[in-house]
Amino acid sequence: MPRLGFGRRQLSSPIWRASVEDEVDAELAFHVEMRVREYMAHGMDEATARATAVARFGDIRKVNAECRTIGNQRERTMERSEYLRELVLDIRFGFRQLLKAPAFTAIAVLTLALGVGATTAIFSAVEAVVLRPFPYPAADRLVFAFTHYTFGDGGVSIGDWNDWRRRSKSFSQLGAFQFRGVTVSTGETPDRVTAAFASADIFPMYGLTPQIGRVFTAEENQPGRDAVIVLSDGLWRRMFAGARDVLGRTLTVAGRPYTIIGVMPREFDPTDSHEDFWAPSAYSPGQLAFHDEHFLTIVGRLKPGVTMTSAQREMDEIARQLSTEFPQTNKGSGVRLRSLTQAIIGDYRLRLFVVLGAVLCVLLIACGNVANLLLARGAARAKELAVRAAIGAGRGRIIRQLLTESVVLALISALVGLALAWAAIHVLIGAAPPTIPRLAATRLDWPVVAFALAVAVASAIVFGLVPAIRASSGDLQSALREGGRSAIASARDRVRSILVIAEVSVALTLLAGAGLLIRSAFYLSRVDPGFDVKGLISARVALGPPSDTATAASDAEQAFARILNEVKGRPGIAGAAITSAAPLGAGSGSNGLVPEGKEPSPTNAIDSRLRMVSPGYLRMMRIPVVRGRDIDERDVRGGLRVMVVSEALAKAAWPNQDPIGKRVACCEGAPDDPRWKTVVGVAADVHTGGPTQDIRPEFYIPIVQAPADAWRWVNRTMTVVARAASGDASSIAPTVRASVKSIDPSLPVYGVASMTERLDQSMAEARFHLELLVSLGAVGLLLAAAGIYSVIAYFVTLRRHEIGVRMALGASVADIMRLMTWQGLRPVIGGAVLGALAAVWATRLLRGSLYGVTSSDPATFAAVTIVLLLVSLLAIVIPARRVSAVDPTTALHG
Amino acid sequence: MPSTESKDRLHGTLDALVLKTLSWGPRHGYAVARWLEETTGNAIQVEEGSLYPALYRMERKGWIEAEWGMSELGRKAKFYKLTARGRKQLQSETSEWAAFARAVSSVLSPSG
Repeated sequence: MPRLGFGRRQLSSPIWRASVEDEVDAELAFHVEMRVREYMAHGMDEATARATAVARFGDIRKVNAECRTIGNQRERTMERSEYLRELVLDIRFGFRQLLKAPAFTAIAVLTLALGVGATTAIFSAVEAVVLRPFPYPAADRLVFAFTHYTFGDGGVSIGDWNDWRRRSKSFSQLGAFQFRGVTVSTGETPDRVTAAFASADIFPMYGLTPQIGRVFTAEENQPGRDAVIVLSDGLWRRMFAGARDVLGRTLTVAGRPYTIIGVMPREFDPTDSHEDFWAPSAYSPGQLAFHDEHFLTIVGRLKPGVTMTSAQREMDEIARQLSTEFPQTNKGSGVRLRSLTQAIIGDYRLRLFVVLGAVLCVLLIACGNVANLLLARGAARAKELAVRAAIGAGRGRIIRQLLTESVVLALISALVGLALAWAAIHVLIGAAPPTIPRLAATRLDWPVVAFALAVAVASAIVFGLVPAIRASSGDLQSALREGGRSAIASARDRVRSILVIAEVSVALTLLAGAGLLIRSAFYLSRVDPGFDVKGLISARVALGPPSDTATAASDAEQAFARILNEVKGRPGIAGAAITSAAPLGAGSGSNGLVPEGKEPSPTNAIDSRLRMVSPGYLRMMRIPVVRGRDIDERDVRGGLRVMVVSEALAKAAWPNQDPIGKRVACCEGAPDDPRWKTVVGVAADVHTGGPTQDIRPEFYIPIVQAPADAWRWVNRTMTVVARAASGDASSIAPTVRASVKSIDPSLPVYGVASMTERLDQSMAEARFHLELLVSLGAVGLLLAAAGIYSVIAYFVTLRRHEIGVRMALGASVADIMRLMTWQGLRPVIGGAVLGALAAVWATRLLRGSLYGVTSSDPATFAAVTIVLLLVSLLAIVIPARRVSAVDPTTALHG
Repeated sequence: MPSTESKDRLHGTLDALVLKTLSWGPRHGYAVARWLEETTGNAIQVEEGSLYPALYRMERKGWIEAEWGMSELGRKAKFYKLTARGRKQLQSETSEWAAFARAVSSVLSPSG
């Protein structure tokens, strides 16, 4: 029932109330007039009476103006409260309307809640990873500095860092981190953790103070005074159960006792490396002048007023100086500065925004469906609205009321959506690979709730405005007469067609993205990793610090030889080998290789991954030897120094030549004695970083011929690889552990995982991205299909009469089905064409996430279009079949 | 609010007088002025320059409300009438005034 009160308010204001200005004029004039009469009654003539009255009144203009001002203020206050009163009424009325149509309300709320919930969940991830500021004061002044090569950016040498620090004037601090896996213990079981050996200025640079104790000072960066340690919040809770009296206790790090002096707060994770503690780096003068070996992570804080550009310019100049002063090590390299955001978040930013875009597409489709529902309801309510219009409600007023109803609907959906988002965030964090920075900090906080509400209100306007305008523009007369059944049906058909076109085009764009990622996944699953993962397991084993530096290398060699023998001899093991770094695993470093005949300078060096291996490594890993031979028992210390190169390295170093017998300088020696290594074999390329990573040059050398420094490079840590005779890698994990423990029970064995698992992990991010976009694509497709279904179902109901006439005139059910199908399919095809065009543009954003397929792959586009058309056809045919239930006689009577 | 109002004793007094006048029934502005003049034997000459802004101010505060009607002489006039809130305001103004008057008279004419 329309409420009559609604009309009365509307009527009373503009017609009955004069403007404030007129009222004041009339009232004051009346007053003066009455005075005039009063004076005349006392015997004055009219002119004198009037003059006296006016004089008595005083400054009538000033009084008039004062009254107008107050009157207008009052008018505005009243309008505001009137508006609020109407709003409250509209909201209450909206609730009642929704309660009266529970089926409509449930479907609309669920559809919208799905859209708002999904959007909110993804937004919360975007907020956590990209938008939330870093927890450091003036974090935008923090910059990472990398060594820049033509092939990419890398770590920094101690010498470079030292010289940058001394020469640059752009930074208030320029700190260095050296990350290392170390074994720590408090006397009981040892634990393997990530350590950061750092310069003292990293703490003031990040501007965070310890939650207990103190941080170390620059004096403690001196060798000998550096046995102090600052714990991360995580390690403090894990190893010390968060004890307040931890200060002064001792923690043994790699065999050396350190005194705990402080604990940093939880949010201190300066390079997103999740290290467990910070200890002072203590470099000797010799190390500080050493420009080779690039393993430092450098972060600086720009001085006030210094821009990134000017700092970069200064560093370019310093790099130029260093390359002339130290051509051996620094020629051909530069410096690259990157903001904290660039360095830590990098291209996750784009990827997340792409997902956010995709989820907004789903929301748009959901809005389309709700708009559709509202259109149908608007038709049903045409009579009620016509009555309102008839008793004086303006068109704007009706639109406002209908929009308020939409907003009420959207806000209810937002509440349900927030609950869905809360659940979705948990699923998201659980499913996401841990490598995505800051994602674990995703939560439903106030910015996210505000976003959800804003999205809901915006959606209400998107889905509510067109139906509201439509509903308010009905033809009064016919609506009152016929209940608005057919008079405006054709105009509505057009709006509905446009909705279908929009939904289909958005759905196709989503599907194209999802399709491309599916193609990528297929491609990745077919990529040959270059070695046989079947039954293969790898485990890291770290030796303790050497007891005698003179025999450190041979001691380590012997220790690993014993471990290898023990593993090989155990039952169930088909083969085993030792390497400094297995594919898909930790520990790989790279060296510059210079082929014989070329000037030994960094510009001629080919950056290649070094693998120190035990004899028979390639055969055991089943990496094909393309030419020459594997590293074997002939390669001994003091014998001919040999190396096996990968095909990529062979191609880069000796294009179109036989690499066997060629000599290479690398890793050690001096210009007068380059300690040549002779190539004895070429191995097939291996996807070391997993199928998503490009192949890079690699080389293999026998462990026993490794340069003396190499044991330090690898931190006295090696990888044991072993293959299970049964083909089940997990069955030999305990065997490998037990073998190592039987040689030395104090040796930590960690990072034990089968190669199949590692291969899986290496594609975890790609898969996560795939799962997200495919599920969004599927939801989008389903929602679009539901939208098409409801439009067709509505057409069938609306056109019972027309269908009846056609059937009475001799049309068969099949004829009418064909007609309905064609009419339903037309906007779908239109939408598909538009969608394909949009997809060509939108999928370019996915480029960085695609493997083995271009962003506008025609096969994928064709496939998703066919899927979309088939699903749409289904959504048309099912409701259209109801046509056959139309009985011409009843249809005509009705 | 009443305390800040009472600071402006002049406004407050005029407001109280107008409210009191209207407590006998609806009147237009001129009638309010005349009634005050007559009742006080012209001791209080209400200035139109203060009366009308006061009426508008009180209308805005919701103490009085206005309606257009026919005056006794057959002309359209704006009639003011006391609201419930205005009645309450009148009570508090009256008692405040009484307290004020007692205080002043205790100074000016000490008992005896």
